[in-house]
Amino acid sequence: MTDPVTAELFRNAVTAIGDEMALTIYRTAYSGVLKNIMDYSTAVCDADGRLVAQGLSLPGHLCSIPVALQAALRHFGDDIAEGDVLTLNDPYDGGMHLPDIFIFKPIFAEGRPIAYAATICHHTDVGGRVPGSNASDSTEIYAEGLRIPPLKLYERGAPNNTLFRMIERNVRLPGRVLGDIRSQLAACAIAERGMADLIARHGADGVVALMNETMDHSERLARHCLSELPDGEATFTDWIDDDQIDEGVPIKLVCTVRKRGDSMQVDWTGSNPQVKGAINNTWSYTAAASFTAVKSVMSVNMPNNDGVFRAVEVIAPKGTIMNALPPAACAARGLTGFRAADCAFGALAMLYPDRVFAASDGGNTGITIGGYDADRKPFIYVDFLSAAWGARPWADGIDCNTTMFANMASFSIEVIEAENPLEVLDYGMVPDTGGAGLYRGGMSLSRTWRMLADEGILQVRADRQAHRPYGLQGGYPGAAGRNILDPGTPREKKLHAKLTMTVRRGEVFRHDLPGGGGWGDPLDRDLALVAKDLRDGLVTVAGAARDYGVVAAGDPPVIDEAATEALRARLRATRPPAPAVAWDVPLPERAA
Amino acid sequence: MTLRVGIDIGGTFTDLVAVASDGRVLTRKTPSTPRDYGEGIVNGLADLLREAGEPASEVLHATTVGSNTILESRGARTALIATRGFRDTLEIRDLRMPRLYDLHWQKPPALIERRLRLEVDEKTRPDGSIATPLNMTSVAACIERLRAEKVESLAICLLHSYANPAHEQAVAAAVRAALPDLPISISHEILPEIGEYPRTSTTAVNAYVQPVIRSYLTALTARLRALGVTAPLQLMQSNGGLAAAEFAAEQPARIIESGPSAGVVGGAALAARLAEPRVITFDMGGTTAKAGLVEHGEVLKSEAMEVGAGVMAGARLLVGAGYMLKLPAIDLAEVGAGGGSICHLDAAGAPKAGPQSAGADPGPVCYGRGGTEPTITDCNLVLGYLDAAGLVGGAMRLDADAARAAVAEKLAVPLGLSVEQAAHGMLRLAAATMMRAIRAVSVERGRDPRDFALLAFGGNGPLFATAIAAEIGIPRVIVPPMPGLFSAFGLLVADTEHHAARSVRMRLDEADVDALDAVLSVLAAQGMARLERDGFPASRRALRRSAMARYVGQSSDIPVALPDGDARAVIAGLPALFAAEHERTYGFRAPEGEPIMLTAVTVAAIGVPERPRLPAAIPPVPGTPHPSRHAWFPDAGWTEVPVLHRAQLATAPQPGPLIVQEYDATCLVPHNWRAHLDAFGNILVER
Repeated sequence: MTDPVTAELFRNAVTAIGDEMALTIYRTAYSGVLKNIMDYSTAVCDADGRLVAQGLSLPGHLCSIPVALQAALRHFGDDIAEGDVLTLNDPYDGGMHLPDIFIFKPIFAEGRPIAYAATICHHTDVGGRVPGSNASDSTEIYAEGLRIPPLKLYERGAPNNTLFRMIERNVRLPGRVLGDIRSQLAACAIAERGMADLIARHGADGVVALMNETMDHSERLARHCLSELPDGEATFTDWIDDDQIDEGVPIKLVCTVRKRGDSMQVDWTGSNPQVKGAINNTWSYTAAASFTAVKSVMSVNMPNNDGVFRAVEVIAPKGTIMNALPPAACAARGLTGFRAADCAFGALAMLYPDRVFAASDGGNTGITIGGYDADRKPFIYVDFLSAAWGARPWADGIDCNTTMFANMASFSIEVIEAENPLEVLDYGMVPDTGGAGLYRGGMSLSRTWRMLADEGILQVRADRQAHRPYGLQGGYPGAAGRNILDPGTPREKKLHAKLTMTVRRGEVFRHDLPGGGGWGDPLDRDLALVAKDLRDGLVTVAGAARDYGVVAAGDPPVIDEAATEALRARLRATRPPAPAVAWDVPLPERAA
Repeated sequence: MTLRVGIDIGGTFTDLVAVASDGRVLTRKTPSTPRDYGEGIVNGLADLLREAGEPASEVLHATTVGSNTILESRGARTALIATRGFRDTLEIRDLRMPRLYDLHWQKPPALIERRLRLEVDEKTRPDGSIATPLNMTSVAACIERLRAEKVESLAICLLHSYANPAHEQAVAAAVRAALPDLPISISHEILPEIGEYPRTSTTAVNAYVQPVIRSYLTALTARLRALGVTAPLQLMQSNGGLAAAEFAAEQPARIIESGPSAGVVGGAALAARLAEPRVITFDMGGTTAKAGLVEHGEVLKSEAMEVGAGVMAGARLLVGAGYMLKLPAIDLAEVGAGGGSICHLDAAGAPKAGPQSAGADPGPVCYGRGGTEPTITDCNLVLGYLDAAGLVGGAMRLDADAARAAVAEKLAVPLGLSVEQAAHGMLRLAAATMMRAIRAVSVERGRDPRDFALLAFGGNGPLFATAIAAEIGIPRVIVPPMPGLFSAFGLLVADTEHHAARSVRMRLDEADVDALDAVLSVLAAQGMARLERDGFPASRRALRRSAMARYVGQSSDIPVALPDGDARAVIAGLPALFAAEHERTYGFRAPEGEPIMLTAVTVAAIGVPERPRLPAAIPPVPGTPHPSRHAWFPDAGWTEVPVLHRAQLATAPQPGPLIVQEYDATCLVPHNWRAHLDAFGNILVER
């Protein structure tokens, strides 16, 4: 048996390598997608492609690296030499969606590969029909960009110039894409250096044994945490508004969680068949969403490696939106990932109501505005907006925060205005949009843009505009999201949740994110919390009366406790409590 | 007559170090008085002045009052005036969170509540032109709210004010006319750079702590006057430079991380004296360990930090736990490993050292104050590295039996190890955590730590330094005199320093020469004026210019020193310097001719002292010899080890194992290392 101190020291060291790889990409990347949004991940894997340690990075990439590396290893078998670098992005051969390019480098010791440095980065553009390669209205993968099967990017240290030239000619911003590939290679070099130290200390066999022990330890930890939870089974159903192709046709997600002893099954049987629009998941992305939810209800902050995966089985039937078959389009599958995480949280909430939050904003909204400025120079503005967490059984949902499944920053307003022919008119919270509850959901955020160039293409990938973020245990759903053209003018027009359209000089587009769902009966909410929301202007006087049965007046509003008690008593007698899961407690239109 | 006094306030002790005109070094360690820190200072200072027999000529001060104000939410009732539509900037931040998979995370509440975040109708464009003129009626409405809500401090931050401050100035003037006593922090004065969230946050922090720090400094000055001290009071800034108390009261955001910076500055001075080109400073106390980096006399700095973020391995990637301050600061990597770190097993039986700490109360098991969880200090005691006869010169006895019992029960038995193996294993784990701080300032910045000497101080630094050095491959450890008071000592060797920065955002190949010249001369003039105000004659003022730059298309900057001369010379010389720095940091440079974007220019104005600030030497104080004792080492087992005073270390190197025991710290020299005293009074431990 390995000495426990040596094993722990090794775990620290190999985790630090994953983190240092992540920092290397953070510091050297060219594109904002990597730097600001951190849409990338790094890891150390063993010779079989199993995940040993993942750097601090994106939850959405949790299971992607082993799946991709194992696909590459299937292709190359024993044909792997020192100095090789492997790459791929094909979702139907190990990848996730085309913008995510994987790069792997074998780490040799005593003449054999004993580990792999692994990186995945979301690239700014990989060609295809729209800038950014992430349209939600493509219907086949062939429209989505350059598809790279498992290939060698370097062979025994020599670059594969054919492949480099193919990439260069097929992407819109080759300088940025090749710059980001360089930063992936730099991260692999950092891992090689770190692993060389460990190999010098422990020998090849020693490192292999310690990698195994690292994964075994995580498995023990995961199984321990799972065995603390009561056994049971629960199924949860949620809906994506539509796929932008079949407008208004909801897409069903079904998640069943089965917990027995020290293991768990997350089963997506019953989910919608794959759809025409580009929001189809690979198995690995569905698994990442499943693990994100399961890890969040465990009592210990679990390491990210194969040991955890051994305790949790993810089932996603082929041909469904959770595990699509070619040639389904999948560039915008981020949305389905966010919603799969919500749905898995929902199933866990049915099993463990005191551990799980109500629905959050449904994941971020992707906004792209592209075109040409006054000097005919092209511009592409890509941004992701997030708003609100669902209420928790012990506290309000967090306001103005990224969704759990991603950890993305938004761009600075001043930088947006300095770099694009766009003006931002406002960006802030909208009152009365957090789902009411004993604990309320986070508030909706709203942002408004004005087009300053002659014209451009606006693409929006949003959801939760028809199916609102659900509330739990008597809590109300959060407000629906919405897209509006020229708000407050005679030309005001409500737009579809997902859209691709031309906008012209002077036109104004407003996007409201959904609010988070509430938890528990709003009539039981602590008056001090309502008073604070009233003072902050997050709940209006009318909203307080309508949702919370609280009577207040003045500026700042002061609560009339006697009147409140009377109103609450009346509402309790006349108003049926919201069900355990509430999508649609009728709320009057919120204040503008 | 020059008696220069450095005062460093910590959570438990207030440290004072003074150098008298005859070169004598005087020290005091007195308990801190958190309710009124000035009291502890004056107690120690009165005593020290009596011993010195001469009046103080300079009082140099590092304080945690700023960061404590934020940590304890004790700041002023603060309001913000923002551009219409953008009052939530402070709360939206950049949306990111510092933890994943944690449903229990709580976001730190905004320093300014939403009701006091006010808006005016106006809009400036990125090029400085006006899109919407400032509406004075909306300003008047804000003033009414400020009055009605009895606001104590105000931050003004309007969009694109870095490009044109006219609207901020007009709002400030109107507020001043109506409310002349209200302190106002204006964003273009504090941080004239693009990026509304960092600028708003920095301005808000400044406004929030300003009344507290101003009254602290006023009260302290009065106490000093009462003591007969008329010397000017100077404060350590987060960037490692000193600034006059009046400036600190105006821009207190610059002194938030005052305390930890002083030790690194001391390290830089010592490195220069020893002609060590590369030094990593390692400061370990009871709850955390901090690493900094000094290269060719320059201290590694960062452009931004988070206040109150706590300590977290990997915190550089996971931001959002604290309050963003975008001001230059000494780059310190901090990890949660100190003498009080609790050693335990996780749910799957793996050993862990920290990050939870037993703190000072109940503290380690061996303190006998009710602590039941074994700590790093307990492990050091069990192995004989610490003296059971006590810390701080014997003022506090330690219970070795209790420590041993706790290590046995909680660690050794479940791990299946001997007590000594378990205790030693925990020290190795703690050392591994501390190594992450050292790697953060070296490996992550493209430096190889093996090229550096390790300068160890703080109460626990000298105890761990050799273990860490051995693990990383650092060949030499320096333990300065008075390691437990080294931060206060660092104050004595710091220079006066003012930083001013400006956004420029120009491609070098398309640069506007006149505009760049204008920025450079405005910043230089500003710095010179401040030094003049501080009383430095022209002959003792120096400027150091640097820039933030990136390859066009990249989304982050690296700092690079600017070449001498006017804008033309800067534009000509910068590409080569930038490419070299990029290669050093990231291991590659872009092909020649790749366009470079200059995003910001910084000018540091430095007040050069009249004479060298470091005393010629700090000779060790002789003391009564210690008996030798038994200590445990992994390969040798229990071994009789000599215990020496610093003064007993001959100039000829003495081989380990040995222990150097001092009033405020213990230095461990294991097998295969040897120690000697240098001419300055440092212990040099080498392999």
